[in-house]
Amino acid sequence: MTPFAGLAMRLLARDWRSGELNILILALIIASASTATTGLFTDRLNRTMVNQAAAFLAADLVVTSHAALPEQWLEKAAASQLRIARSTEFSSVLVHDESILLSGIKAVTKAYPLRGHLKTSQGAMNEEQHTLEIPAPETAWVELRVLSALGLAIGDSIEVGAKALNITRILTYEPDRRGNLLGLTPRVIMNHEDLPATEMIRPGSHIHYYFLFAGSEKAVREFKTWLKGRLVPGQRILDVYDDRPELATAFKRAEEYLGLASVVVVMIAGVAIAMSARRYSRRHFDMTAILRCLGVRQNQILWLFFWQLLLLGLAASAVGCVIGWACQESLVWYLRSLLPENLVEPGIFAYAMAILVGLVILAGFTLAPLLQQRRVSPLRVLRRDLVPAPLNQGIVYGAGFLTISALVWWNTGDWRLVLYFLAAAGGAILCFGGLVYLFLRTTRLLLPYLGMNARFGIQQLSRNATSNLSQILAFGVTFTAMIVIFLVRTDLIRTWQGKLPENTPNHFAFNIFPAEWESLRDWLAGETIEVSAFYPVVRGRLIQINGQDAGPVVSADSQAERTLNRDLNLTYTDVLPADNRIKQGVWWNNHETGLVSVEQSLAESLKTKVGDTLTFGIGSREIAVTISSIRSVQWDTMNPNFYFIFSPGTLEGFPSTYLTSFYLPADKEAILNRLVNKFPSISVLEVGLIIRQIQTILGQVTVAVEFVLVFSLLAGIVVLFAAVYSDIDERIFNACILRTLGAGRRVIRRNQCTEFVSLGLIAGLLAAVSSELLLWFLYERIFDLPVKLYWEVALATPLGSAALIGLFGLWVTRRTVRQSPLILIREN
Amino acid sequence: MIVARNLSKSVATERGRLNILNSVDLSIKPGEPVAIVGASGSGKTTLLSLLAGLDQPSEGQVFLDGECLTAMDEDGRALIRSRYVGFVFQSFHLLPNLSALENVMLPLELLARSNARAEAAALLSRVGLHDRLAHYPNQLSGGEQQRVAVARAFAAMPRVLFADEPTGNLDSSTGEQIIELLFEINREKQTTLVLVTHDDALASRCERIVQLKAGSIVDSG
Repeated sequence: MTPFAGLAMRLLARDWRSGELNILILALIIASASTATTGLFTDRLNRTMVNQAAAFLAADLVVTSHAALPEQWLEKAAASQLRIARSTEFSSVLVHDESILLSGIKAVTKAYPLRGHLKTSQGAMNEEQHTLEIPAPETAWVELRVLSALGLAIGDSIEVGAKALNITRILTYEPDRRGNLLGLTPRVIMNHEDLPATEMIRPGSHIHYYFLFAGSEKAVREFKTWLKGRLVPGQRILDVYDDRPELATAFKRAEEYLGLASVVVVMIAGVAIAMSARRYSRRHFDMTAILRCLGVRQNQILWLFFWQLLLLGLAASAVGCVIGWACQESLVWYLRSLLPENLVEPGIFAYAMAILVGLVILAGFTLAPLLQQRRVSPLRVLRRDLVPAPLNQGIVYGAGFLTISALVWWNTGDWRLVLYFLAAAGGAILCFGGLVYLFLRTTRLLLPYLGMNARFGIQQLSRNATSNLSQILAFGVTFTAMIVIFLVRTDLIRTWQGKLPENTPNHFAFNIFPAEWESLRDWLAGETIEVSAFYPVVRGRLIQINGQDAGPVVSADSQAERTLNRDLNLTYTDVLPADNRIKQGVWWNNHETGLVSVEQSLAESLKTKVGDTLTFGIGSREIAVTISSIRSVQWDTMNPNFYFIFSPGTLEGFPSTYLTSFYLPADKEAILNRLVNKFPSISVLEVGLIIRQIQTILGQVTVAVEFVLVFSLLAGIVVLFAAVYSDIDERIFNACILRTLGAGRRVIRRNQCTEFVSLGLIAGLLAAVSSELLLWFLYERIFDLPVKLYWEVALATPLGSAALIGLFGLWVTRRTVRQSPLILIREN
Repeated sequence: MIVARNLSKSVATERGRLNILNSVDLSIKPGEPVAIVGASGSGKTTLLSLLAGLDQPSEGQVFLDGECLTAMDEDGRALIRSRYVGFVFQSFHLLPNLSALENVMLPLELLARSNARAEAAALLSRVGLHDRLAHYPNQLSGGEQQRVAVARAFAAMPRVLFADEPTGNLDSSTGEQIIELLFEINREKQTTLVLVTHDDALASRCERIVQLKAGSIVDSG
């Protein structure tokens, strides 16, 4: 160990004992603890999703294909110790007496499902039960709707194609039931061995083959990598995010919020670290001058501080990790009823990241002030007034920005967001900083009109404009961050809850013929069931983009590629659905035809923009339309939503059915049977399970969000300390001089009060304006929430800030009027 | 040992340049105790800072043991200070975060001396503080702090010791003890002593007195 490492340890230990490092350490611990808590928790939440995803897929990995997979792929899977199951799905019309019913048929092999289980019951009134079996050969399990629609009972038989199957159970739950047309129709599940006898598998039949694999995480991962390079068009690996967009939306927002909130906590802590590092650096000028006098070189001085920072960073981050672990454990304990059993322990990577974040923010926010030590002249031992020239503010703020940018990028992986952040933060600091500086400098014009107390306080603000500016910016940034994090949290939760109110549609009705939809609407109204809009559905495929074959344009295994390889639900309407928002282009007026509005993420994946031409194949005909707008869609509202919406007058000539959704309370489930009997061709799907899953995940996320909020509050309090303490020595000294000149306690306290309240008021005004702007940006660009103005926050922030900083400042400086000025001057 | 040639120092002020030192020539022999005296503002401390390499002159050169300080960069001068120079200051300038022993060990550690602790303890015993080794500066009286500073100044066996008003912050009795100690060790170690003071009695104990007035030497002793 070099003499500097040893010396660094001694100096650090002594500084720690004297309390010199308290704020710095506290801020670091909060930043690391927050990173550790959110990092560890999202890690576990991700694993939860992965676990749940496996249950949704009925396997760890599913490959879907329009044809059977090559045998060698299955051999490779078997050689990798993976268990394999198959399911083959197709639609078929079931006939019994005079009734017919379009059904989704699923033929499964013995090991199905590899994850999760089927649930069945022995009769309509019997309780559902988990089962690890599948229907025996010659038998089928069917949904209750099949029985009611066809007037069948258990023990009767149905014909699937050319094969008669005996109904032995009622199917109540399939883990991997999908939201496509097959998934929406009444379901029949049968044994794969009976499939050939149905004679349904013929050239040209529309069959979906699913190959299910399960095994160790490593084996699945390796097999997935092996498979990816071998997939051909029409084959794809199923992903829970693509299959269940309504879950993905909620989860993605939560992850985005947690990631950003964690960065905000780090940023607030960074402000505290920067403020206390500045003070720490200033208080060590004398020590540096003495060391320089004793012959220590400039770079050695930097090493000395580097060692101290490293030791401090490691120790504080380690403590932060322990706290983060404890918080995360308590979070998991609190949510134990929601989380799956046997959660995997958090990965070592999350701990390492928390320590790394601690070191990075320490370096980012302290290196610049500590670089000043290099400029301390040894002559300071003789002339104490020699203060090193302040560092270029560009370096100081630049280092901070760079640190936060790196963290934003790490949390979001989105360079655009980093650039937005840099532009917004840089612009705000230049703009607001400049305004505040000008304001502080011009307050001196007020001096002739003020009484002594106010005059002295304002004079202090005006004369130390640079130092006060940095304090105001620190408070301003912190309050802005706290307001934003609080309001985004409140609005996110409110929006989530608002999206899933009591009467959230829990049933979809589709296959409604044009002649039926009005009578269905009236019938539902008669049953006092509130129903969402009815949308016509035309089935078609996207075949060309701007006159070129669409296939080569899109990336392999992308959302676009999957879109090209299946029939799509196309609709038309003159009214923009309530949960859709136009992001580019404009919605059409009533007279425009030949236009289409495309969902945002799909438009990106298709690499299309407003003005492009899309050609769709509908039956044997083709139709070319122009993209007039790009829409965002809130998939989690449970209302019918579409990737492509056409302008009225474009699709009217094509055969269509109608689709809608409605809410059916649990006590009115019996209506379903009456509905199916009255409208036998209509298919009804219950989606209550999906809603419950979303609510479960939102419940988890809401608590995590509350945790992050607590961290941001703690970090904010530390900033309060750091900023007020940053030039407390000067304030105490000034007060002491006033006291020695005969100023009374009341005079001094009034001066201080004016100064702190003014600081708080200006910082509060700054925070009110910047938080409104930032919220507008976040809601518009990131969270896709409705933008609004928060008048009450804009008014309360300056007043609250003035009161808080005023009271806190007076509390911190209370010693100035309680102790002898001589003692205080000596101490300082 | 120390040679100053045509040494000048001026600083920029709102009313133009202010000359603090004007063309000072001075030569100090090895082992010679020299006092620099003069009224406040005469340039005593500025001259000391230039001779010790703590500051750079506006013009002129300073040689310390044949090495031209004025031709060196700050790190070069730092190296010279660590090897050849010791300091005692009016306001002691001990590191508040280090104990008395650690303060004295510091210059020895910077020279990578293996027995720094033992040497520092011996020096503190020499200045009468053998029972104050673990005390921190704020636990010591002014006189004790200056004793620690004297021990630290002699720790690295400097060839030159610069002392700036070493008794300025002490009462006369304590100041007298410190001066006795300073001269005693100086004699033992055969160190060149450059002492800045406005105390005539203290100056008279040096072999030579250099008198400054308005930045110029009026009597070089």
